Amino acid sequence: MALRVLNPNAEILNKSAALYMNINAAKGLQDVLKTNLGPKGTIKMLVGGSGDIKLTKDGNTLLKEMQIQNPTAIMIARTAVAQDDISGDGTTSTVLFIGELMKQSERYISEGMHPRVLVDGVDIAKRATLEFLEKFKTPVLMGETPDKEMLKMVARTTVRTKLYESLADQLTDIVVNAVLCIQKPEEPIDLFMVEIMHMKHKFDVDTHLVEGLVLDHGARHPDMKKRVENCYILTCNVSLEYEKSEINAGFFYSNAEQREKMVAAERRQVDEKIQKIIDIKKKVCDGTDKNFVVINQKGIDPPSLDLLAREGIVALRRAKRRNMERLVLACGGEAVNSVDDLTPSVLGWAGLVYEHVLGEEKYTFVENVKNPHSCTILIKGPNDHTIAQIKDAVRDGLRAVKNTLEDQAVILGAGAFEVAASQHLKSTIKKTVQGRAQLGVEAFADALLVVPKTLAENSGLDTQDVLIGLQAEHEKGNIVGLNHHTGEPMDPYMEGIFDNYSVKRQIINSGPVIASQLLLVDEVIRAGRNMRKS
Amino acid sequence: MVFQMQGVQSMLKEGHKLLSGLDEAVLKNIDACKQLTVITRTSLGPNGMNKMVINHLDKLFVTNDAATIVNELEVQHPAAKLLVLAGKAQQEEIGDGANLTISFAGELLQGAEELIRMGLHPSEIISGYTKAINKAIELLEELVEQGSEKMDAKNKEEVILRMRAAVASKQFGQENILCPLIADACIQVCPKNPMNFNVDNVRVAKLLGAGLHECMVVRGMVLKSDTVGTIKHIDKAKIAVFGGGVDTSATETKGTVLIHSAEQLENYAKTEEAKVEELIKSVADTGAKVIVSGGSVGEMALHFCERYKLMVLKISSKFELRRFCRTTGAVSLVKLGQPGPDELGFADSISVEEIGGVRVTIVKNEQGGNLVSTVVLRGSTDSILDDLERAVDDGVNTYKAMCRDSRLLPGAGATEIELARRLKEFAYKETGLDQYAIAKFAESFEMVPRTLAENAGLNATEIISSLYAEHAAGNAKVGIDLEQGVCRDVSSDGVWDLYLTKFFALKYSADATCTVLRVDQIIMAKPAGGPKRDQPAPADED
Repeated sequence: MALRVLNPNAEILNKSAALYMNINAAKGLQDVLKTNLGPKGTIKMLVGGSGDIKLTKDGNTLLKEMQIQNPTAIMIARTAVAQDDISGDGTTSTVLFIGELMKQSERYISEGMHPRVLVDGVDIAKRATLEFLEKFKTPVLMGETPDKEMLKMVARTTVRTKLYESLADQLTDIVVNAVLCIQKPEEPIDLFMVEIMHMKHKFDVDTHLVEGLVLDHGARHPDMKKRVENCYILTCNVSLEYEKSEINAGFFYSNAEQREKMVAAERRQVDEKIQKIIDIKKKVCDGTDKNFVVINQKGIDPPSLDLLAREGIVALRRAKRRNMERLVLACGGEAVNSVDDLTPSVLGWAGLVYEHVLGEEKYTFVENVKNPHSCTILIKGPNDHTIAQIKDAVRDGLRAVKNTLEDQAVILGAGAFEVAASQHLKSTIKKTVQGRAQLGVEAFADALLVVPKTLAENSGLDTQDVLIGLQAEHEKGNIVGLNHHTGEPMDPYMEGIFDNYSVKRQIINSGPVIASQLLLVDEVIRAGRNMRKS
Repeated sequence: MVFQMQGVQSMLKEGHKLLSGLDEAVLKNIDACKQLTVITRTSLGPNGMNKMVINHLDKLFVTNDAATIVNELEVQHPAAKLLVLAGKAQQEEIGDGANLTISFAGELLQGAEELIRMGLHPSEIISGYTKAINKAIELLEELVEQGSEKMDAKNKEEVILRMRAAVASKQFGQENILCPLIADACIQVCPKNPMNFNVDNVRVAKLLGAGLHECMVVRGMVLKSDTVGTIKHIDKAKIAVFGGGVDTSATETKGTVLIHSAEQLENYAKTEEAKVEELIKSVADTGAKVIVSGGSVGEMALHFCERYKLMVLKISSKFELRRFCRTTGAVSLVKLGQPGPDELGFADSISVEEIGGVRVTIVKNEQGGNLVSTVVLRGSTDSILDDLERAVDDGVNTYKAMCRDSRLLPGAGATEIELARRLKEFAYKETGLDQYAIAKFAESFEMVPRTLAENAGLNATEIISSLYAEHAAGNAKVGIDLEQGVCRDVSSDGVWDLYLTKFFALKYSADATCTVLRVDQIIMAKPAGGPKRDQPAPADED
């Protein structure tokens, strides 16, 4: 072999061996993720190197944590992770679709068909499916007031595939309200403006939405009030501690008197800044029952905290940078970078600020804000893995809502789209294609059916029965999906099962691309590290 | 040259393990959890046995506190760990009932295993269990003793009544000594609104020597250190607290003393002295008789303190200092200087005493406004003291829980049997496969009285059948009298459990059980390397 001459240590897999390795890897990955799909999917337990536990049903998390080594599987996993980055959902479907497409192609290739011709057909099918998707989508008009029910349905469809039903339904309301809270007209939605905070406490069903902000630290002075009402909020990024000068300076003194003066002079600079804050507090609060809260991104040293505490000001130091943005959105006012010329107009407002202590951890709640444009999803759960699981689900739910708002369209779920698209390909598109490429279209159409098939399988139903039932209904022109409780066809529109348009589009776009690439590989050359397990 | 590709395993990194399916994952998990509960079960209840656990640091624990046992066991199996986590959550939330949580979850899983072998699918069991726990919580509400929802948090009798069961399960036979102590300590520091009771305000000081009867409650704090100066006793003193050290002040930037002549050197020392004297004098002038420092106390400062007859205490822990401030009502000053009159604290007496060979400083404050009390525990060995401390902790946590919700349930297995009975009735009314799971859930409740009886050396089956008979006759409060080995109404003996403890324990166990059942695949990474822990000392031959 030519390669042997070039590098005697290199290994080579050619023609069919290379192809089968790829196909097997794709199928193997499909097998792992298959049980994840849909509301009836099962949970995987991941045990980390240090014995830490993670429970997940989310394809993305699974792929990330699994540490896959097979090169082909890695390629597929990357596509799926990209899917997650772009649309926030649909990782499992992507992997399944790629795996199934490879499986279908294997059949034709083993019958002697050239992969190139097959890939051509797949490409035609892909374009046709995308066109079909455009026609199939259900437009949702997002006017001034978005259709909350519709958003809830989309979010519910996503979240229910990650968590059990009752908790999922609760989270649905939370994520929809959270996104609507941060949504501003004419501006792209920044999901970072939803703070996700967790507390290891109580039960998972105690998770709720806080219209305001929850900070994961408390006031650092024991005498500061734990609960204040009607407060002005000063959001600032000013260092309120002694900063060493940049040049290398030293003090020279010859008696203690002089040294005392030095000590005082050192403090003066910081004290002056504090005084300015105290002045503005006096200006707005004196003679009223209002309170004052300072939230600083930089530090506040103990003497300064002491001064503030004496004035009855609650001060929090070292807030997260992102929380500064969120605070301004939630409470109004401005984040200031200097305490010079503070005016009441830069102050925000919150009806209630209080501290909550959980064991060693302190949390500060900023609530009852006017017109919030930032909010916090407070996740509670008795242990870390529950919290992590909810966090993933919340993230996906938020993305789903955001996608809907941006797409202004949704797709009927529960396998309805897949069956419809497959029918469309077989009945209409296939006839327009000349020659052997038809088989590529056929493979694509069959591969699409993996979604309803797997849904049925995970629900413990007979896959063939279900598929035939669904196809028969589509034949009659009814668009139906799978009711996983009964196994009967049902109308996803009536049941409120909707998927994201952008998620589906991404799957159909990226899946065939990677599958085609893998099909067209005819040699795998290993030079260097051993690919095979020793 | 063929790439071996077989299934998922080959795709994972070396050393990874994949377990999947009913046999490999679910049943194995259940088995591991059962093993865990075998250990904890025998420690349940007042007659529970003690365990001797030696942890990786070679520290010996002799206890029947499940939270401690499972914590020190360092459970490795992932599924069993889920139960441990549930137990820990219970411990953090309520501070008691960890054993019930773990043992009950184990029992539920055992039931689930039987159901799986019968042919039920885990998802059906989960849905049945979920229904059952919801119903059980409903029923639990109905079993609450009438009139117990109102409690005077300051009434010692009522507090002891609610605390007894929790303490007795840790220190059986000694609850009559411990409960009044704990109750006293808690009531003393209970704020006006009992909801704000802070567990941190009841301290425990363990002093080796003497015995349980010498335990006492101090209104104030017991510091396990001596005073710095020579003054060892002081009454009715005002106190100044400095958060930093009491010493000459220093600048943040490095300072250098510039000296030209010998005269200046002498002068410098003098000015320094004068400064410190000025400071100490100004403190003494305010009427303060005690200086508490959060950092080091300079030699010179100490000298002047002695001269002005000031007692000097050093408390280096920040939290301890904060508690000290709470005890005396002082404000911790950051800057060295004269404290204002409202920044001074007050204590009735501060004295150094020698107890059991250890010098301790006892700070007493009998007046109102005192927020800290200390339970001084005496015992002959460290492990006894540790165990006593855990009992006190449980008691204090129970007090906190009862301040939140004071409702009571009949104890000694009465509640469990009643729940089992009513839940079974509920199960028979259910249609579908759920009813098997609900019935199993109900049966699992029998575990509690059964274990109580077994641990007391009674015939469990006999006890349970007579319990059922009594309950069927409408005596919902009949439980096991462990001392006499008969079933009778234990409420007259004051055996009660807190509703809140039961509520959380049941919820957490059901939660953990369902989570274990939901898992059908386990992917285990290769255990991370790292320094090998010392091998535990070889156990005695058994």
